[in-house]
Amino acid sequence: MMDAAITREGLEQILDQALQDVTERTAGVRLHQDDQPLGEDLCTVHITFDKGFATSLTLCADTSLLVRMASNSFHEDAVTQEDLEEFSKEYFNVLCGKVAGAVFRATQVSAHFGPPVFYHGRYEPEGQEVQFVLTYSDEHSKGAQLIHHMARPDEGGAASSES
Amino acid sequence: MSKRIMMVDDSRLARVQLEDVLEGTDYQVAAYCRSGEEAIEQYAAVQPDLVTMDIIMRGMDGLDAAEIILKNHPDARIVMISSLAYGDTFDRAKAIGAKGFVEKPFHREQLVKIFEQALS
Repeated sequence: MMDAAITREGLEQILDQALQDVTERTAGVRLHQDDQPLGEDLCTVHITFDKGFATSLTLCADTSLLVRMASNSFHEDAVTQEDLEEFSKEYFNVLCGKVAGAVFRATQVSAHFGPPVFYHGRYEPEGQEVQFVLTYSDEHSKGAQLIHHMARPDEGGAASSES
Repeated sequence: MSKRIMMVDDSRLARVQLEDVLEGTDYQVAAYCRSGEEAIEQYAAVQPDLVTMDIIMRGMDGLDAAEIILKNHPDARIVMISSLAYGDTFDRAKAIGAKGFVEKPFHREQLVKIFEQALS
């Protein structure tokens, strides 16, 4: 499990650096950690690590933040629902790859993960419990939470990411 | 004269990013393929100076596609592009003859340096 191979503080640092770096380089948006709660109009992207680590990562964000990031990245003023989902999945895929690379450099364990799944609203993966949450906001006070889940001890593995 | 890149990637985000970071450089995206199969089919017609090949794509993965292109065109210069630039993936890319490995998201200086090395 990810926490068994790396300390929680180490993993939090990897996730924080990856999220800030990937967000700024793909979408030109700077996020900083704070405790501001998310709004009510949310989207979630979820990825399950299926080899190396029995864990999953979830990004739950204000829809308007993801729309702004998609607009910046695709150079489109108007972002469709399809654009939003496509951007969110590709962005989170790159983010998780960056995390997996950093974890590999720290532990020499190769972590593979499945395709990202997109949801409107907040999504809680079944059979998993939250290990920790990193909360961010941008300069417009729109926020995102990066959530690290692990399978509950009695579940025997990561839950399916399919809805 | 600009160097012609054939980009193989099923990600729209990656395509836009590559075009952004190559703006103002001596490289231009001359062809865009959304799959390994399409790249194998298009390579001879495009005759690019360099191929950027994503690894994880729908259908044939980028490592298999690169291996086939290099078998058919031993002088092809292929740079693997992925967020999974480590471990066994990195070792296999080197073994099949890829000229370099670039991590996503792209960083202009790193990308151009690896392109220059691949073409030298």
